[in-house]
Amino acid sequence: MAGHSGKILNKIIIAVGVILLLLWIIIPTFWAFKTSISVPEEAWKPIPTKITLDNYLSLFNPSLEAILRGMGLRAALPDPMIVYVTNSLIVSLTASIIGVIFGSLAGYNLARFNYRGKKIVMWLVLFAYVFPVFILMVPILVMMRYLGLYNTLLGLSIVHLAYTLPYSTLIMRSYFSGIPSVLEEAALIDGCTRLEALWRVVIPVAIPGFVTAFIFSFTLSWNDLLFALILLNSSHKYTLPIATTFFLWGGEIVDPGGLAATAIFAGIVPSVLYMLVQKYVVVGLVKGAVKA
Amino acid sequence: MSKITQSLYNWIYVLPTLVLIIFIFIIPIAYNIWLSFQEKSIGGEAVFAGLKNYQRLLASSMFYKSVGNSLLYTFISVTSKALIGLGVALLLNKKFWGRGFLRGFSILPWAFPSFVVAVLFWFNYDYRGTFNTILKMLGLQPVHWMSYENAMWSVILINIWHGWPFFFMGYLAGLQAIPTDLYEAAEIDGANVYQKFIHITVPQLKQVLLTVMLLSTMWTLGEFTQIYMTTGGGPVDATLTIPMATYKIAFLTEINFPLAAAYTILVLPIYLFLIYFTLKQMGE
Repeated sequence: MAGHSGKILNKIIIAVGVILLLLWIIIPTFWAFKTSISVPEEAWKPIPTKITLDNYLSLFNPSLEAILRGMGLRAALPDPMIVYVTNSLIVSLTASIIGVIFGSLAGYNLARFNYRGKKIVMWLVLFAYVFPVFILMVPILVMMRYLGLYNTLLGLSIVHLAYTLPYSTLIMRSYFSGIPSVLEEAALIDGCTRLEALWRVVIPVAIPGFVTAFIFSFTLSWNDLLFALILLNSSHKYTLPIATTFFLWGGEIVDPGGLAATAIFAGIVPSVLYMLVQKYVVVGLVKGAVKA
Repeated sequence: MSKITQSLYNWIYVLPTLVLIIFIFIIPIAYNIWLSFQEKSIGGEAVFAGLKNYQRLLASSMFYKSVGNSLLYTFISVTSKALIGLGVALLLNKKFWGRGFLRGFSILPWAFPSFVVAVLFWFNYDYRGTFNTILKMLGLQPVHWMSYENAMWSVILINIWHGWPFFFMGYLAGLQAIPTDLYEAAEIDGANVYQKFIHITVPQLKQVLLTVMLLSTMWTLGEFTQIYMTTGGGPVDATLTIPMATYKIAFLTEINFPLAAAYTILVLPIYLFLIYFTLKQMGE
């Protein structure tokens, strides 16, 4: 008897919990989503009556964007949206590729070798992983000016290594630790050099690790507003996060449809990437990343 | 291979990472310390100013207000995220149809970049937006979400909504790692749901909880984007947190780099204290 009513109670708790969870996630996302597919006149109506994809299409089609802008329907952005999307892609790809290459070398070292000073290296990487980067905003700006990298996408990518490099190192370290060293030792006995063993035996097994590290690094760089704000000075170099700030003028949203489409697009890119590596999300961030 | 070449060989792997970390983190921190003792003269070279910047900050109410704001913002956000994350993890650890989908769907808020989450809430907090529409549907008065009294709670809600899935993921991994025979043994001993939770679930989750909590505290205490994009630290100083104050001193109000450097050095102990515990927790 008790077991039966307990089961019903359990089912009610699950049902209520699921409904609350769905509402909690959907309600705050709903308005931006529906505005992104609404016509401009209906931006502030809760339920749209007409549906349009113009807001999305105009992100990638400068001539459509120019037409809408001519009709006074778009925010006064200095350049076509596609410029900012491209800049964001360039910076994120550069920062994540460099981060993953160097990070995987360091991760391999930390997972496999034992030497004096290894502990210090590990602490430095962990320190960089948790250090709040806003503290560096002034010195980084001064350094980048001094190096002539101010207002360049390359300079921003290098600074984004502050995000991507420690992450990649930790994720790759945990990944390499999980691969039995017997594999390489066998290759070494067969006459391979360390690098050959790495290239032929270890790297193929570690590909999921590379993918995870790359996806995390990419999104970390893709999400950054602070350094882009400080280091980029001319509008045609701006990345997506800076472009979105142009949609707000004196506390008023000037182009709801365009803004909503930009935000949803900028959010879908990392979301889709995360879904691909969902299994490794926590392992990479909390447990496996540091505890081999 | 000799021992020395072997050890040189080892260092080659970490060298690029080491150099970059020193270049991006260590040198800037050192430069910040040096700069904090300088004084800005417009157009001229920096001159040594002793503790002048520090004295100025310690005498300003802005300094105490921003630290207080940050502590309030972080404490309430992290506690709420931890509780919501725990609730959802316990829910999605039960077996039912659609659980797999919900687990994936639940990381959505966290997968969105901070600047995107800020935009979502522009629409929610707008006077004509989501939240006031719901209030009107319930027959209540619309609210000015970004007024002086409400702004702090509004930015806290943004942070909670964005960050709770991180706790959820940490807890879920922790819950899945608890051996089921622990619960079975407790059931044989006659433990009820509550006793099982307190005596098995909580102790088993402690390590994960602590790591996730420390990481989230660090990140929340360093959150810049959400506040920059929604309130910019305002109205007046209602949501002026430490990262926002640093930016304002350096680029908006004072435009004074040495003063901003001194400000970051003054707050650095708060972060170093947390970093120490985080690294200890994660390292060993």
